[in-house]
Amino acid sequence: MRVHKTGIVQEHLMTRKQSGLFDVSHMGRFVFRGKDAVPFLQYVLTNNSAALEIEESQYTIIPNERGGAIDDAYLYRFKEEEYLLVVNASNRQKDWNHFQSELKRFDDLEMTDRTMDIAMLSLQGPASKELLLGIIDSGYLPEPTRNSLGTITINNAEILIARTGYTGEPVCFELFIENKDALMIFDLLIEKGTVPIGLGARDTLRLEASLPLYGHELGEDPEGNEIPIFACGLSKFAVSSSPLKGNFIGKDPLVTQFEALKKIANRDYSQIENLPRLVRPVALTGKGLARAGFKVFRGDKHIGFVTSGTMVPFWEYQGEGIESDLTGKNGRRAICLALLDSNLIDGDKIQIEIRGKMTDAVIVPYHMRSEAPPAARAITYKMLRMEKKEIKESKVLEKVSHLTSKAMTNTIWRQQECINLIPSEQTMSPMTRLLSIQDPVGRYAEHKPVKAFSEADVFYYQGTDFIAEVEALLVNEFRKYLGCEEAETRIISGQMANTAVFSAMVDYINRTDRKIEQRRIRKVLNNHIIKGGHLSAQPMGALRDYVARDPKTEKPSVVNFPVHKDNPYKIDVEACKNIIVGHKPELIIFGKSMTLHHEPVAAIRSFINDQSIDCTIMYDMAHVLGLVGPYFQEPFKEGADLVTGSTHKTFFGTQRGVIGANFKETDARFELWEAIQRRAFPGSVSNHHLGTMLGLLLSAYEMNHFKDEYQKKVLSNAKIFAGALNECGLSVAGDPDISYTQTHQAILNVGYAKGPAIAKQLEANNIIVNYQAAPEEEGFTASGSLRMGAQEMTRFGMEKEDFQELAQLIHDVVANNKSVKDKVISFRKRFLEMKYCFSGDEYENIIQKLHDLI
Amino acid sequence: MKELNELNLPEDLRYTEDHEWVRTESANVKIGIDDYAQDQLGDIVFVELPQVGDKFAKGDEFGTVESVKAVSELYMPIGGEIFAINENLEETPESVNSSPYDDGWMIEIKPDDPAKIESLMDKNAYLEMLKG
Repeated sequence: MRVHKTGIVQEHLMTRKQSGLFDVSHMGRFVFRGKDAVPFLQYVLTNNSAALEIEESQYTIIPNERGGAIDDAYLYRFKEEEYLLVVNASNRQKDWNHFQSELKRFDDLEMTDRTMDIAMLSLQGPASKELLLGIIDSGYLPEPTRNSLGTITINNAEILIARTGYTGEPVCFELFIENKDALMIFDLLIEKGTVPIGLGARDTLRLEASLPLYGHELGEDPEGNEIPIFACGLSKFAVSSSPLKGNFIGKDPLVTQFEALKKIANRDYSQIENLPRLVRPVALTGKGLARAGFKVFRGDKHIGFVTSGTMVPFWEYQGEGIESDLTGKNGRRAICLALLDSNLIDGDKIQIEIRGKMTDAVIVPYHMRSEAPPAARAITYKMLRMEKKEIKESKVLEKVSHLTSKAMTNTIWRQQECINLIPSEQTMSPMTRLLSIQDPVGRYAEHKPVKAFSEADVFYYQGTDFIAEVEALLVNEFRKYLGCEEAETRIISGQMANTAVFSAMVDYINRTDRKIEQRRIRKVLNNHIIKGGHLSAQPMGALRDYVARDPKTEKPSVVNFPVHKDNPYKIDVEACKNIIVGHKPELIIFGKSMTLHHEPVAAIRSFINDQSIDCTIMYDMAHVLGLVGPYFQEPFKEGADLVTGSTHKTFFGTQRGVIGANFKETDARFELWEAIQRRAFPGSVSNHHLGTMLGLLLSAYEMNHFKDEYQKKVLSNAKIFAGALNECGLSVAGDPDISYTQTHQAILNVGYAKGPAIAKQLEANNIIVNYQAAPEEEGFTASGSLRMGAQEMTRFGMEKEDFQELAQLIHDVVANNKSVKDKVISFRKRFLEMKYCFSGDEYENIIQKLHDLI
Repeated sequence: MKELNELNLPEDLRYTEDHEWVRTESANVKIGIDDYAQDQLGDIVFVELPQVGDKFAKGDEFGTVESVKAVSELYMPIGGEIFAINENLEETPESVNSSPYDDGWMIEIKPDDPAKIESLMDKNAYLEMLKG
């Protein structure tokens, strides 16, 4: 393979901006089969091979007895009984011989070298997904998470495809192709617009991504000393400490290195001799290029070596945040990876000896970031030191005038000139708003039931009789509304409602033994965030501190509802049953923030009961709380144990949360309910924001009074809206057979990664929506969908024809790039009076009196 | 990479075994690297040049040129004193690739003995050398 094809710099830039195609068939490919495949791989590799489910892969290292690397590798499990290990070309024979020498201890194992039978192409870069989608005949691209695998066919060629790569690109694919088909696929990809990339750019791309290369960052250093595996940052992910892994080559020294690394991270250098140097990204601030082998100094002290280095190009961006865009210009920067004394930290200034002269350099945390798909972004040293914007000090009257006038402008804009379609928002009625700022807004009313007083609530403050009554009435309204035994209303957000429930679960699970370390929730089944699940039910959100680690995956012990391949918005109930049997979740969390369907509460409840699985079923109704009823879902009737929600999306209320439970006092799990109350107060709040609680009571009255009419109208408007968008020629997500939606939401597909820009464009036309990643997209920065809700504008009286008219306005902006701002402003003027709230002369007088009190 | 017949090797220049070119401009001499060298090196990203006034003998290293992949030393085709350097190369080293004989020139020297230029290879002799 040639080192460069059209020039390393151009190839590097093309890959980062569009896509690049690498022929990496020179790498070694070994296949392992048989009962002993996993035990063998566990023994000769550092990662936890048993953690791989079908269609998963992992980075791993082939260790020696001393905790150094024989090679690094990638392990793929495309099929149930077959593991594919990709190793470096230059180490293929060495690796093979090493494995041969270890094989003897394993009986049922077949190892074959398939390097010469299968070609391997790597397609990397932001445009690579669209390119592949255009030529796939059948099969699906792997799930949009790194290391996921799949099988596709292109022109009758079966291709194993992985979301992996060696460029740091967030949109990345590696293709395993039978030899006979390889040239055809290569040519087809080039014909469709990608460009061939040589090994030279492959090296600069991996350097910019700070990925290790054997012989540089792994293996031996320039003085011939072995580099400990943990000197490489990726080792934290590649070396498993799972108790399920058992003994493996190099385990003891690796444990020692890891212990040293943990101490070094805390700037405790007492075990530094076990890990004297670490591979660090370094940016040159002086002139010249650092090359592998150059010595690095700090003052007079020799502190290490450059392991890889050169000058790499990068695309320049302008603008800020998600709106920043390519300028079309590119720059270049001298960067390197260096094996440096472990007691150095990011920002330390160092010197690199370049042919006898010292050049200044600095240790940086990274050269590039991949977390904003579809593109990787170069981070230069200058960008790491951006100064915080100073806010200019002005006179107090100026500050107050500025604030108040902008608040008024903003309110007029959102309330009188905008079409508000964000599905998680609502406007409160005037009376709800006024009640929210009456006297209780500044008060405290902490209380808790005391068993010694026969469960009577004891309040810690005086002057609280009124708010005590409000809370009792609010609880009563929610019990009626949700159709359940108990309600907790002190929670001030939906996320807090979830946190309180998770915390209460842990409390409840451990109720029989308070002296031991409190066990976390063993396994949770929820909606994956990429399939519409909300942050508050994810390990990255509220679940984090309450869910156990799975010793097999070494990740939070969460499994996700499987979804239909042809409708990823809908849970696949049959597939879900296998997951429930296999994982026996202790907690099931229904509910999503991107939601088009009913959740299959009844079906799963009946299955759980049939299987006698001890499990709590919770429905996080944040988005759909205002839809509870016969037209949408009645979760408690369907068998949910708990409902959580926020009270200000489809519900009419102030911004708060609520928890409902269907446990009677005689139920075994009533203790869970008591734990939930404790985790609400004092677990989550002391002051529970009495002003908005007062407002919420009024909106609960509104909801219980108007729900029949309102809910029917929201649900039918959402269907009409989705249908009208489709008829305009826009692409609407969901199942046409149910008019796309069973909720208040409609989801529009606007093109891969175009969501943020189009949402911005709609905002410029006074149509407020939010962009959202579709189930097949890699993350919110790659969003190709717009999420819209019919609830708020329905409340302002929009009817069927109005949503059809609105669909046309949206089409004009999205498809034709027209300016419709003036039209939108006059459209909104028709919908200024709120419906589904108490109005008329008898209420006007009350509103006036409330207003006079402020 | 280019075939030998694709190389741009102007007739009016002299060439060295190390792939530098030399051009007489009135009393002075301009020096750079030729099309063959830039093509072999690939994308040039850094050029290190001497100071004006530095004196070198024939064969001395006067600087380095770095591509993404490798570094190469630059040698004096004849002895002389540095009269000017191409300061633009600091910002646009890629000129050495795109325009090796014009925008990509490297140094201008006052030769110790202008007659020595005649001892360097002309285009045909240089091509013969490349053919080996």
